[in-house]
Amino acid sequence: MLSYLRTLFRFQESGLLLVILALGLLLTAFSGRVRIPLFERQADGTRQRVFLTNDAGERTPAFTEKNKFLNAQNMAQLAKDTSFTAVMAVGMAVVIISGGIDLSVGAIYALASVLGALALRHYGPEGLAAGTSPIVGVLLGMGVCVGTATLCGLATGSLIVALGVHPFIITLGGMAILRGIAFVVTKGQSVGGFPATFREFVRYEVGDGLSIVPMLVMFIVLILGWIFLSRLAAGRRVYAIGGNELAARFSGIRVERVKLGVYLISGLTAGIAALLSLGYYGAATSGDGQGYELNVIAAAVVGGASLSGGRGSALGVVLGALIIQMISSGIVILGIDQNYSQIIIGSVVIAAVVLDNFNTWLAKRRLTAKAS
Amino acid sequence: MPFLEFSGITKRFPGVLALDGVSFSVERGTCHALIGENGAGKSTLGKILAGVHTADSGELKINGRIIQPTNPLVARELGIAMVHQELAFCPNLSVAENLCLGDLPRRAGFVNHPELRARARAMLATIGADIDPDTIIGTLSTGREQLVQIAAAVGTGAKVIVMDEPSSSLSATETAELFRLVRELKARGITLIYVSHRIEELFAICDNITVLRDGHHVVTESIASTTPHRVVTQMIGRELLIATPHHLTRPLGDECLRVTALNSPRKFSNINLSVRAGEIVGIAGIVGAGRSEVVEAIFGLDPAATGSLAVKGKSLPLGSLATALAAGVGLVPEDRKRQGLVLGLNCRENTCLAALPALTTFGWVRRAAEQTLAERYTKRLRVKAPSLETITAGLSGGNQQKIALAKWLARSCDVLLIDEPTRGVDVGAKAEIYQLLDELACEGKALLVVSSELPELIGLCRRILVMREGRIAGEVSRDDFSEATLMRLMAGVAAA
Repeated sequence: MLSYLRTLFRFQESGLLLVILALGLLLTAFSGRVRIPLFERQADGTRQRVFLTNDAGERTPAFTEKNKFLNAQNMAQLAKDTSFTAVMAVGMAVVIISGGIDLSVGAIYALASVLGALALRHYGPEGLAAGTSPIVGVLLGMGVCVGTATLCGLATGSLIVALGVHPFIITLGGMAILRGIAFVVTKGQSVGGFPATFREFVRYEVGDGLSIVPMLVMFIVLILGWIFLSRLAAGRRVYAIGGNELAARFSGIRVERVKLGVYLISGLTAGIAALLSLGYYGAATSGDGQGYELNVIAAAVVGGASLSGGRGSALGVVLGALIIQMISSGIVILGIDQNYSQIIIGSVVIAAVVLDNFNTWLAKRRLTAKAS
Repeated sequence: MPFLEFSGITKRFPGVLALDGVSFSVERGTCHALIGENGAGKSTLGKILAGVHTADSGELKINGRIIQPTNPLVARELGIAMVHQELAFCPNLSVAENLCLGDLPRRAGFVNHPELRARARAMLATIGADIDPDTIIGTLSTGREQLVQIAAAVGTGAKVIVMDEPSSSLSATETAELFRLVRELKARGITLIYVSHRIEELFAICDNITVLRDGHHVVTESIASTTPHRVVTQMIGRELLIATPHHLTRPLGDECLRVTALNSPRKFSNINLSVRAGEIVGIAGIVGAGRSEVVEAIFGLDPAATGSLAVKGKSLPLGSLATALAAGVGLVPEDRKRQGLVLGLNCRENTCLAALPALTTFGWVRRAAEQTLAERYTKRLRVKAPSLETITAGLSGGNQQKIALAKWLARSCDVLLIDEPTRGVDVGAKAEIYQLLDELACEGKALLVVSSELPELIGLCRRILVMREGRIAGEVSRDDFSEATLMRLMAGVAAA
């Protein structure tokens, strides 16, 4: 038991897990109780409210009392909200570990959503190709959405490599250009009217209103990200470049190719997140994902990815995304004025970096103490 | 009473005793040369005076009063300034702004530009330098920038100026200009500490000379009473760490590396060399002679290089790292922290970094194979680390260097270019690295070793090429090895 605990604490991400545990306990303790209407799943699969008939024969809706934070619905909500940012944060982690930054993910997300939405509407109930099999339409829409995002990532990556300009500049420009394209394509209008099967699939619920698909996708992306970073040669090269680009080059690593790859991956994850949101919300506008890049970078940084490169993990950034989501939902639950949420999240990001620096400083001191 | 006195200066860096109780004195208004081989401690001594380093023990005195220059600013206030080889200024600002950076003239909070220019012009005029104060520092040549540094030193009232290798990147006319200035400064009673490798120029401008060897003071005497030949013999004579290597008794194999008419603009020209299997060839030369540039060009890191390169009889294109790697060439670079290792990765990952393609199936790293390979080479090189998973940033210099070597052994390169195999490495690890290089040669690898430490090359190599100012100044075979011969070729001093 003790040795098991010890391995857990040696585990790189145990600190984040502790923070999540502490946050969860705090929120549970201070959130108070809430009355939640009772639902019941009918034979046809729909959920209906439960009514009670009292002595006088009146039907009143049934309620149950639950902890405001620790209840199934809130957990489901938290899981869903986290999955969108977490998926993108895995891609961002790869970029940040390589020593780069990608500010264009929010705009890529918007453009991919919008183009995917246009394709899906084409095959939707009011679209021009309404008659065709929904499978074709949905697959095509998904392809357009994810394909667009990947291409955008490839484009920013190529520019960064070809021009040798700092990724901050290229992706800052890319952010404006791509969102502009999304706006021009839709003329600022919301695009909806997708085939029903698509929405039903993404919103598929199990248990008490838990949308399982975004969560599953998040887990798959997390596992793939983990495999990429820790098991594949390509992942090793990403760490090497982020840690010391010159030494990586001297070791025969093709730095340009790896850099291209990381921005492609970041685009891809933005596309996957866009696809999830399309299915979940059933519509897209060019204004979607505004400011997501900062949330995603914040998640990566809180999750232990170092902006100077060479450090970070897929699990870490997913946990980072969860922490940020827990804090913003905690603000709602605790009834703190919404206007404070940005201030609090901003402070958390800075605190995380300060803690991380402190940690590195401690580690360095330990090392020099051992050396001398 | 002497003007400036060093007494018992000792300075220890991790793993090295850089200065060991150095004592001598300097007369006012003289140009005092500090000379010694690489690692003799001459730059360290200059930097201690200028407050860049602090001595562990010993005393510095000016006019008999003990001074403690704990940082460059304090040294400046004591009237000691240093002229560095690089990075002394903000390259993006103008000459005037840099000269007045610590004390910008202001009027109501705004920079007073006319006053700024006037002050800068006055400072430049004191040394007779004809430089427009509005020029951006970054656009000046090294020589002109040095003049600005000297102007800054004189302008702020420096009584002692430390010059660290001031002529190392100057053209002939710029050097002549520098010498003129040095004489003028002396005439004004300014004392100069002149750190240099170049024996000849010391005889042109210095009054007295102090020779250091391995952190020890050898001699301080007047330049008039010595000769270049005598200085060379005073500089050398360090003990060898290596017994006669075994590879010398083995027959040589086929030619592994041949370089013909290798040129690179402003780096080196007309380099011809060949290394056979089982041979260790050394490249000697002072810093800046173009040694590292040559091995980097062979490794495909110099896109401007021209000439021809053949590895194991096969001709290779220049400027392509990928083909050099594919042909089995490996480079252990000069600066392991900057070029050799990814310090944030652990021993296993660094050892296998160059060998990754061979350890990969469909993009997956085969962990077991990686582990075995890393274990084999870290064991063979006797790397002392708590485990293979230890981050290399925490290892000692010697162990880091061994990992940087292991990286190329793990890739089983046939031609190894090794730039400074033992820089910043403690004595024990040095001996181990020498033994390893000997073993590698016995196994039939071709080794080209660049080093600033002559005893190391003399102990290890079958032949030594000496480079000077971008050219091969001579080749010495083992029978004729002597530090004096090599040093003379390096410095361009004729035999006595």
